[in-house]
Amino acid sequence: MVRIQAVKGLTAIPIRVEPRDSAATTGTIGGGVTAILIEIAAQLDRLADDGEPGAIDLRSLPMSSDDREQLLDALGPGEVTITLQGDGESTICETGVHGVWWSEFRDRGGALIAAFVEIARVPTILPVEPDELRRGAQSLRTGVGGAAPPRGS
Amino acid sequence: MDLVSFARGIGFEVALVVFCAGVVWRIVGFALLRFRRDFNEPRNSLVKAMIGGMVATGSRSWPHPEFIGRTGAGEVIGYSYHVGLFIVILLFAPHIVFLGSLLGVTWPALPSSVITIVSVITFTLLLAVLFRRITHRVLRLLSNFDDYFSWLITTLVIATGLMATAHIGGPYQTILGLHILSFDALLIWFPFGKLMHAFYIFPSRAVNGTLLSRKGAAS
Amino acid sequence: MADDRSEPTIGEILQTHGVSRRTFIKYCTAMASVLALPPLAGRAMAEQLLAAPRPSVIYLSFQECTGCLESLTRSFSPTIESLIFDIISLDYDDTLMAAAGAQAEAARDKAMKDNYGKYIVIVDGSVPTSDGGIYSCAAGRSAVDILSEAAKGAAAIVCVGTCSSFGGIPFADPNPTGAQPVSALITDKPIINVSGCPPIPEVIAGTLLQYVSTGTVPELDEHRRPKVFFGNTIHDRCYRRSFYDEGKFAKSFDDEGARNGWCLFELGCKGPTTYNACATIKWNGGTSFPIESGHGCLGCSEPGFWDKGSFYSPLSAPRWGKAGEASPRQVLEVAGAAVVAGAALGVASAGLSRRRQRQKEKLNADDETEEG
Repeated sequence: MVRIQAVKGLTAIPIRVEPRDSAATTGTIGGGVTAILIEIAAQLDRLADDGEPGAIDLRSLPMSSDDREQLLDALGPGEVTITLQGDGESTICETGVHGVWWSEFRDRGGALIAAFVEIARVPTILPVEPDELRRGAQSLRTGVGGAAPPRGS
Repeated sequence: MDLVSFARGIGFEVALVVFCAGVVWRIVGFALLRFRRDFNEPRNSLVKAMIGGMVATGSRSWPHPEFIGRTGAGEVIGYSYHVGLFIVILLFAPHIVFLGSLLGVTWPALPSSVITIVSVITFTLLLAVLFRRITHRVLRLLSNFDDYFSWLITTLVIATGLMATAHIGGPYQTILGLHILSFDALLIWFPFGKLMHAFYIFPSRAVNGTLLSRKGAAS
Repeated sequence: MADDRSEPTIGEILQTHGVSRRTFIKYCTAMASVLALPPLAGRAMAEQLLAAPRPSVIYLSFQECTGCLESLTRSFSPTIESLIFDIISLDYDDTLMAAAGAQAEAARDKAMKDNYGKYIVIVDGSVPTSDGGIYSCAAGRSAVDILSEAAKGAAAIVCVGTCSSFGGIPFADPNPTGAQPVSALITDKPIINVSGCPPIPEVIAGTLLQYVSTGTVPELDEHRRPKVFFGNTIHDRCYRRSFYDEGKFAKSFDDEGARNGWCLFELGCKGPTTYNACATIKWNGGTSFPIESGHGCLGCSEPGFWDKGSFYSPLSAPRWGKAGEASPRQVLEVAGAAVVAGAALGVASAGLSRRRQRQKEKLNADDETEEG
């Protein structure tokens, strides 16, 4: 995961990172990658218009590892890296395009079980549900030892 | 029992038996026929006549110059689709495997993409041949059930084969079953119709050539 | 706060087992990819499952080798396949459950009664019907009996493995026990066939997950197998397909062609007529599948695959009788007999023709002498 290391290294330097111009450095972008980039752009517009998040499953597309590298390069590195610990370590990285997140889910054995590009304001797996909030409050109160305050209706 | 198993199994066994018995029946049946009494004075010895017969077998492969104008197109189309059929039947890998399991020998195959191209061309030529037969005044007059049915059975085999490799027209197993079944039908029809020309042309040309040569006539 | 419902939801069960919502979403996203659904549909599936009560599942094993259950439970790395037992309430499985004897039977009867009309029946193994069904009995009751009783209150029946889907090994010629697939005996309930000998664990889990989360039977092919897994043949997705198209075949195991990874058609591969997901999802967590390991496909997810001739005879080879292939010698014998018969017919026909020819000649000669 060279990408994460680069982000870690670069965020240590107080400068703003410009997305790399992939066409200039590596030549032309493959047709398949261009199509995906156009799809991502369309989904970003949709997100801006009606708030609907989108996602593109990278494993369902006929992509070679070179294509994936090209896509990653075209999107560029972002500012945020999220590590999910839960039955294996998964990573979600923001790309150089705000709102476009590169997600790789892994299981306990470290095997890659899902890889997709998500178009959302915040990765949809992150926000906490109200019932979880209440459970948390409950467990905190029980842990602290105080009586549960009366709940409204 | 599903279609493929039937066509490959008992269907093929019956077809092969009918084919072998039928072809031999017809060849033996005509080989033992009497010749008409020849009252001509022989102009050539029997040996020379037989050589003439061999020559005729080859020379009749192409029409005399006077007739090329009228029959040339038909001859070219005919030869082309015959060559195409032989290429597809004998040089396509699954066919070689099939024949190999019957004969015990195999030979190298052509790439499947080449076979597909040849099959499409052959199928198109077969359609052209039918079109010619229907539109040509004389041919239409001369054509009977045998002509059309022999054409149909041959075209069915190649059409179902193309459909199977292209995976169109239905589930692969069904189309493959129909392909093998249509081949079985071809084998069964073979001894009873004009497809017997495959075995008859060379003997009949040789006999005609020999008889004519004996009389001293050109052929 | 305690729920008003008496039974916990799947989410609550997972919570108690230490599986967080996010972890569950992670696995459902992965399963969505396997099911060829978009990633956010996996999220939707996860949310649906988390809020749903655990469905009761009765797992019935009849004439089987237990390979199908082993396939599901012996998954390599812990993934959705192991979580499946958190998602469903496996109320009866005589191989896995701790209880035995009358207590186990009682647990099954209670589950069927409490969830009448809503429980899922999973069946592996075929059902023998000969001689009153005595060839598979448990607790003194025949498999036919147990199945028909369980099917009465079932919402759906999922047949795991080729034996319950199509009869499988016990069904093979001469089928001495009268083995039948479930679909031949139960005709009034929705049946999903997850065939394979055994089926791929992700396919079993994915089908169950899809049914549990949507409550409806997925799109099925003509053999009632989920099209999402059984829609393509192995041949259509085989990585060695280019060699088939180029005519490069391995002629024997471990020859030059085999070592170069060429097509196994001539070694009997049944890939072109077999529908399954082996070439895409593969086995053992995506490690490999039979063709990748150098052996042709057996066609194990197809009906009657045991009676379709040798596993090593190519698909294009003819087959004589029920199980044999035509050796060149056999062909020679049959064709030779046909030739002899044909020759005899030929001689007879020629004899008739010659007689007619002589008669005609005689007639012509008579005409001439009359004229001349």
